[in-house]
Amino acid sequence: MLHWIQYIRGYVVVRVWGYSVERLLNLCGNHDILVWDIEDHGDYHTMRMSIAGFFALKPLLKKTGTRVAVLHRYGLPFFVSKMQKRKLFVAGLFCCILFWSLASRCIWDIRIEGNYALTEDVLMEYLQEQGVHTAMKKSDLQIETLEQALRKDYDLITWTSLQLRGTTLLVRIKENEMPVYDEQKSETAAGGMDLVAEKDGIVTYIITRSGVPLVSCGDSVKAGDVLVSGAIPVYNEDTTVRRYQYVKADADILLRYTKQVSLEAPVAYEEKCYTGEKLDIPVLGAGSKEITLRLFGIPYDLYDTSEEKKQVKLLDHLYLPLFYGQKTVQEYEVAAKKHTDEEMKALLQEEWRKNISTLLEKGVQITEKNVTIKKNDKKWVLYANMQLEESAVKLLPTEAEAVEVPEEEQQSDQTRAVILKGGAWERLQSV
Amino acid sequence: MVESLKLPKDTMLGAAIVTVTGNREAFIENYKGILEYTTETIVLQGKNTKICFEGSSLSIDYYTNEDMKISGKIDALRYL
Repeated sequence: MLHWIQYIRGYVVVRVWGYSVERLLNLCGNHDILVWDIEDHGDYHTMRMSIAGFFALKPLLKKTGTRVAVLHRYGLPFFVSKMQKRKLFVAGLFCCILFWSLASRCIWDIRIEGNYALTEDVLMEYLQEQGVHTAMKKSDLQIETLEQALRKDYDLITWTSLQLRGTTLLVRIKENEMPVYDEQKSETAAGGMDLVAEKDGIVTYIITRSGVPLVSCGDSVKAGDVLVSGAIPVYNEDTTVRRYQYVKADADILLRYTKQVSLEAPVAYEEKCYTGEKLDIPVLGAGSKEITLRLFGIPYDLYDTSEEKKQVKLLDHLYLPLFYGQKTVQEYEVAAKKHTDEEMKALLQEEWRKNISTLLEKGVQITEKNVTIKKNDKKWVLYANMQLEESAVKLLPTEAEAVEVPEEEQQSDQTRAVILKGGAWERLQSV
Repeated sequence: MVESLKLPKDTMLGAAIVTVTGNREAFIENYKGILEYTTETIVLQGKNTKICFEGSSLSIDYYTNEDMKISGKIDALRYL
């Protein structure tokens, strides 16, 4: 405590020598000048005294014939006057303190733990959508709501815990180990669904599981035709439609259609030959701007450029808009060449194989194919005539069909419904 | 008179009070001045007598008008 007071008020260490130091000390005592740590070094004494005391010492020195010299200055008053000469340093110190205090109010790192099935990218993107990102204010973060939102939006997540550790946001989740199945009831809720043809063709196979089939095997249909209706009519006794029951149509349907494909490959081609000459140019970038560290232009006529850039990042997730990397420029020459017949054949076959495999991947069956190749000097063309079978159908909502129901009947229906509860009503409908 | 009134003797008689802690520290109250100060001897002026500390590496930690603290190795304390 005493040290602190001494430091704040400031004191000096002085060397005193001369005729009678003892007399000076007595006078100091009488004049209320605070002196402490007096040490005898033989021909001189050192002592500490307050700044005010040092200034009041002058008349006493004259009186006693002693001399004084300041050895050291300690304390805040000296520190302040020293700092006044170093304004930039003090400004820097304040800026530093300000920076840290502001920076510590933000989140600078987000870490995710416990995710196996959900990738970090997915969760990061989700957090971004929720307004959680690096360099956001801590006070804007609503941990409780975010935890709930995570659990709500991902069925897979069964437990969440968000934690702020300093400037790091730690997101810990537990995933459900049991697989989650999509429940299919949502689509049947309102109205029905029809199966509609996507392409023109002939129906070659149809097995209906639910809904009313409107076509049979061998019928030709056009794109947009309803194949299986989701509206099941309920008939009156006189075979007029009383009302419709809507379901989601479900059926296995194959449509046959023909498809022409033509693939062509030119005989002449240009080949790039790298000459082996290349240049590595360092690149610096900030934001969308880029500086290539090269004074002269590129001395090649034709060249390929490849670039490798790295972004500067702090911690794990805080990317700064600064890049560094290098550009590689490779010179090449163009040589005009022609494919041989074997090469042409291989090229076309490869193309054709790719074409078929994409079809097969889509679940298309090829029932017939007819391939011809036409050649001339400039190019080879492959014509293919294929007959394909594909379940080219899509689900569309059923258009509700209006049924005119007399009002009396409707009323009586309702009254009956009240009397005949549950299963009885169903039985009545199916009659 | 001092005895009968039971007043503190130091204020009435102006006597110095010397408190010595071991042989390392001494605390002196009610002294009048410093007569001599070296590392071997410190002589203080009391009202009627002089107080002399002898020893080695003696130094005055602090002093004010009324009291003083001496530290060092004290060998002898004499009244002159």
